[in-house]
Amino acid sequence: MANYVKKKLQLPKSVLDMKFMKKTKDRIEREIENTQDHDGLYSNIITNEMRHATGNFITETSFIVCEDLLEGRLSYKGMNPEIERLMELESKKQEPAPDMQKDISDEILAKKMQSFNNRKRSYNSPSKYNVIKRKK
Amino acid sequence: MKVEVDDVVLPGDFSEEIDTAGEKGKVILGPGLRKEIDKVYITKAGVLRKRAPNTFWVDSYQKRYVPSRGENVIGFVVQKSGDIFRVDVGSSCPATLSYLSFENATKKNRPEVQVGDVLYAKMLVASKDMEPEIVCVDSHGKKGRLGVLNEGFVFKCSLNLVRKILNPSCPLLESIKNEWPFELAAGMNGRIWIKANTMRETIAVGNAILASEYLSDDEIKNMCTNIASILAGHVS
Repeated sequence: MANYVKKKLQLPKSVLDMKFMKKTKDRIEREIENTQDHDGLYSNIITNEMRHATGNFITETSFIVCEDLLEGRLSYKGMNPEIERLMELESKKQEPAPDMQKDISDEILAKKMQSFNNRKRSYNSPSKYNVIKRKK
Repeated sequence: MKVEVDDVVLPGDFSEEIDTAGEKGKVILGPGLRKEIDKVYITKAGVLRKRAPNTFWVDSYQKRYVPSRGENVIGFVVQKSGDIFRVDVGSSCPATLSYLSFENATKKNRPEVQVGDVLYAKMLVASKDMEPEIVCVDSHGKKGRLGVLNEGFVFKCSLNLVRKILNPSCPLLESIKNEWPFELAAGMNGRIWIKANTMRETIAVGNAILASEYLSDDEIKNMCTNIASILAGHVS
C-alpha cells in the first residue's frame, strides 16, 4: 500500500493538474491527509515508552520448546516401519556428521609427525651427513 | 512474593532472576509466566523451572488442555460438516480440521475420515478468541507422523505425564523399547494412543506409562524390568 501511494505521488504535478486527473488528485490528497491524521489520532494514548519498547522477553505458550520434548509419535521393534524410518532420519539429522574414517590412528600420526619434525630440525642444522645424503 | 528457580510458586509471584536475565539478553517465557509492565509475573501454581541459557516456565499439574500452536494432539472426529471436520481435542471448544489438510487431498479426492476416528494432528491456529484449527500435514504437504490412527487403544492422563514420558531424560521409553514391539502416539492434550501385537502387550505399555507418573527414574527402570519379565514369562 505504501508503495502504491508513493507511485501516485511520483506523478508530475502537471499531469495531476489535467482535467481528467481531478478524481485521482483528490484521492491522493485525501490519502495524504488520512495518513497524517493517524499519528495525531492516538498521540495521547501511545506513549513514547510504547513506541520504543523493545522486549527481551519472548513468550512461548508450548512446553515443547521449553523442555525440549521428543516428537510424540514413536514406534519400536518394527511395529510401524514407516514411523521408524522417520525416527531414524531424524536421529541422523540430530547427530553431527560422523568423523571421516581414519586410515592412520592419532597415535601413529603423532609419532610420525614427531619423527618428521625431528628430521626437519636436523636438516636445518648444517651437517655434512645431510648434505651428502641430499646429493645422493 | 519473591521466588527463586525450583521453588513452588503461586500466581502473582515474581522472580528477580528472570528480570535481571531480561535486562542482559533474550529470555524465553514459557507457560505460566507473563510479562507485565514492570516485571514478569507468575500466573500458574507449580514449580518454577529454568533451562540454560534463558528459558523459564512453570511446571504445573494440569489435566485441562489449553491449545497452543505447534503441539501435536490426539483428537476424535465428532462431526463432519461440509468442508470441515470438528475434532474434539479436549480443549474448551472442538478444533476444526479442513478436509484439504491431509496428504494428497484435493477437492475431488477427499480423505477417508469418519466420525469417531482417532486423529494425530498438529495445532495450527491456537488463539484465545477463536476456535483452534488442526492439520494433518506438515508445511511440505507430507503427512509425516500425522493422520488417522487405526486400531490401538487410547487412554487419558494428565498433561504432565505426557511431558514426562516425552522428556529425553525419561528412562521409560528407553527401558521398554527393546522388550516387545509397540507403537505409541502421545498428544500434548493428555491423550495417549498405543498399539502392540497382543492385548497383553498393549496393556503392559499402558500400565507402564500410567504407573510412571509418580515414580523416580530408578523406580521406573525397576518397574519396566518387572513388567518385561512377567510378560516374557507368560508369553513363552
